[in-house]
Amino acid sequence: MFYRIAEQIAELPFSVWVSTSTWIWPTMEILHFVGLSLLLGSLLIIDLRMAGYLSAIQASLIERLLPWTLVGFGMNLVTGVLFFVGDPTRYIVNVGFQIKILLILIAGLNAIFYYWRVRSTIGAWDPDVAPPLIARTIAYVSISTWTAVLLLGRLIPYVGTG
Amino acid sequence: MFEWLEYTSVALWVGQSSWGYPFLLSLHAIGLAIVAGLFSMRDLSLLGLIRGLTPAPLLSLSRLAWVGFLINAVSGGLLFCSQATVFVESKPFLLKLVFIACGMITASIIQTHLRESIPTSRNRLPRDCKTIFLAASSLMMWFLAITSGRLIAYA
Repeated sequence: MFYRIAEQIAELPFSVWVSTSTWIWPTMEILHFVGLSLLLGSLLIIDLRMAGYLSAIQASLIERLLPWTLVGFGMNLVTGVLFFVGDPTRYIVNVGFQIKILLILIAGLNAIFYYWRVRSTIGAWDPDVAPPLIARTIAYVSISTWTAVLLLGRLIPYVGTG
Repeated sequence: MFEWLEYTSVALWVGQSSWGYPFLLSLHAIGLAIVAGLFSMRDLSLLGLIRGLTPAPLLSLSRLAWVGFLINAVSGGLLFCSQATVFVESKPFLLKLVFIACGMITASIIQTHLRESIPTSRNRLPRDCKTIFLAASSLMMWFLAITSGRLIAYA
């Protein structure tokens, strides 16, 4: 079923335009890499702080960095959707792509957990004590899933097509 | 010399094993995220767009970014060996090296500037013209390094 939908997307004039235009694809790749740098750069600081490292950093910085994480994610969501629309039948059957999407969903659930259980407690953290266990767990899940997302994204051109 | 590099045993391993090249590319992407990611957070802080970072933790983060640089110097060096004769003639690749060199030199200047500012800064980041100029140039260098790196495949 998914493959049939992908085939229909591939026939859209927009899809043909994305995949055949000379400059769209490389421009999107550049933006996708800039986005991943913003996403992972800000998350690395956030996750290290939430895991209990870099204790010299005020915990309130987490909330100031998150907008940049979201900017990076937004850039990569838009460019990522365009990649998919430009070449849907190749992505839909790619194992690397499938696992990558699954991991992004897990990372998204993890982020929801952060907003639900951790965000409101940050103001009360003692700078001399490690953050609560739930915050540390969310930090480790976040950094490992996003690193894996990055690895799998880079492997898409090299892994099997299912 | 570049031909000789391509025939060293490590270059042959990278080029011929089915996992060598993709593995190093992935490692290179992680290193990129650490270097360009952390340096851009530093630059955005110096430009006043992220508030709350003070000089001392910014210097620790810069040290971590140098670890990312090391990962990429090694993975990039190995990727280069496998196709040395191709890379050495690629204009985007050579430009990328120039931008990275400028980015790392700017990083050293920023680190020295931050370290010197600590005694008088009262735990605040410097806000002078030199800082703004350095941060903006650094952001531009990393953007251009990423751009030329991506274009290697198209030239």
